[in-house]
Amino acid sequence: MSENVIKIKHRNASMLRGVLIRLLRNKAAIIGLVIILVLIFSAIFAEVVSPYAYDEQNLRDRFLAPSTAHIFGTDSYGRDIFSRIVFGSRTSLMVGAIAVTISSIIGTFLGAISGYYGNRVDNIIMRFIDVMLAIPNILLAISIAATLGPGIVNVMIAVGISSVPGYARLVRASVMSIREQEFIEAARSIGASDFRIIMRHILPNCFAPIIVQATMSVAIAILSAAALSFLGLGVQPPTPEWGSMLSDGRSYIRDYWWVVTFPGLAIMATVFAFNLFGDGLRDALDPRLKQ
Amino acid sequence: MREKLLEIKNLSVIYSTEGKIVEAVNHISLDLYKGEAIGLIGETGAGKTTTALSVLNLIPNPPGKIISGEILFEGENILEMDHKNLRKMRGNKISMIFQDPMTALNPVMTVGDQIAEVVRLHDKASRKDAFIKAQQMLETVGIPGNRMHDYPHQFSGGMKQRVVIAISLACNPALLIADEPTTALDVTIQEQVLELMETLQKDFNTSLLLITHDLGVVAEVCKRVAIMYAGEIVEQGTLEQVYNHTAHPYTVGLFNSIPNFHEDVRRLKPIVGQMPDPAALPKGCHFAARCPDVMDKCLEKSPPIINLNDEHTVKCYKYVGQEGAE
Repeated sequence: MSENVIKIKHRNASMLRGVLIRLLRNKAAIIGLVIILVLIFSAIFAEVVSPYAYDEQNLRDRFLAPSTAHIFGTDSYGRDIFSRIVFGSRTSLMVGAIAVTISSIIGTFLGAISGYYGNRVDNIIMRFIDVMLAIPNILLAISIAATLGPGIVNVMIAVGISSVPGYARLVRASVMSIREQEFIEAARSIGASDFRIIMRHILPNCFAPIIVQATMSVAIAILSAAALSFLGLGVQPPTPEWGSMLSDGRSYIRDYWWVVTFPGLAIMATVFAFNLFGDGLRDALDPRLKQ
Repeated sequence: MREKLLEIKNLSVIYSTEGKIVEAVNHISLDLYKGEAIGLIGETGAGKTTTALSVLNLIPNPPGKIISGEILFEGENILEMDHKNLRKMRGNKISMIFQDPMTALNPVMTVGDQIAEVVRLHDKASRKDAFIKAQQMLETVGIPGNRMHDYPHQFSGGMKQRVVIAISLACNPALLIADEPTTALDVTIQEQVLELMETLQKDFNTSLLLITHDLGVVAEVCKRVAIMYAGEIVEQGTLEQVYNHTAHPYTVGLFNSIPNFHEDVRRLKPIVGQMPDPAALPKGCHFAARCPDVMDKCLEKSPPIINLNDEHTVKCYKYVGQEGAE
């Protein structure tokens, strides 16, 4: 008896270890993971990492070029750009993560129902999604944010909802192709309920595209949030946010390049890291790619 | 007295696609007794798989639809059961082995998980007990228990089919439907799988409905045989009756097309012609167009089913007036 219990535990452990080993063997994924970990670390320990407070203004030190005192320079109010980027990672990561969680949950749910049941249900859900798709993503986010009012929570909801259609369509397509497979019929023939078939047999098989979509949309969510902040619908100043830093520095780009460059690099590095990591994770999670 | 486990009465199934109606199964009746193995033989498109799926009430609807008949399992009509009772029955009392083991297993679940799933669905067993049972089942079908943590792609085709058999027998079902279980396997593995199915069928005292187009496979495993052609059962009887006292011209044609090892045969002797389009079945006997003994009335009206004796029936005009002849 006890031997069997050990085996069951061993199974879960070895499955996770297999995924980890395959992930760690992928150099690109490691680079992505390291950047993400650095970002998360700096977001959590922002007070410790940053040399200045993010809202500490010093008008005598406006537009200082990068130096040892201010390694990324200062902005139009004399605030330290490095500190603001470090604090900004909090906002950006949180917006990215929560918006993606919202959209992936709603989108996967709608897509799975629509793809599995087909016919009328599919028609109703998909026409609704089509209507959403007809409105440009950012416009949809703007209108949602404008309706709900400015603020970080509303930005997350707006960005989350506006990327639901992408998920729904993606999940629906994968569910439809997997639904026709013989093992789904086999699952039905052993008496599994629809819910169980969707949760245990279909969705795990759609995992790879969902994960890739999720990592890509973290990047897109960060960008959309930045755009909303630029329009004044997002994060309110003085809370630092990469997108709003970018748009604030926009007018000084000819004389003070560092004001826009470093927030831009931060966004780029984050997007890049999530894409690398997402690709690596997809390869690692799919047991069909096991050697 | 033998006890009837499954009674298919006057079953008709159609598929309708884009205005065309395909009559896949037409008024077939079939009985299966407890612990018995019956073979359902027919060429591709004869309606074998449709019959099998009807027994589990798994005909995909749309496009499929059962338009008449009843299927009694232990006295209950499967076609009138609600979803809950159907789910309780599937995998527990009736289970199915699918044609292609390569696609019948979920690629992202370990085989242990997949066997344990059916046990947990029906036996209300704890996770631990279900896994122990899964391990036992794997060993029963000749796979070492420690391989239960492996994924389907780590097994060969024959081993996958063993896993499928383990899943289907895990809840000790009263009826096992095997839909061409050996078609996707090569001949040596086919032999092993058949032997395994035969042994397990006897050990578990399970009734078996074996669907195949291989006359040899049926001869090996089954006691009774039903021959299907274009959605109808044209001949039915014990193995001895059908194989040695072949009555229906179609069955005769099937046996003639098997090459004889004792003679030097240069060409096979096929049955001339093609199976009729199931969307436009002829009015009379479905086999009439290919039948060497065709008569005028064959083209007019579908022939009656004639009991040559208690068990041997044939659906052909040739035997009118010969009821109880054997």
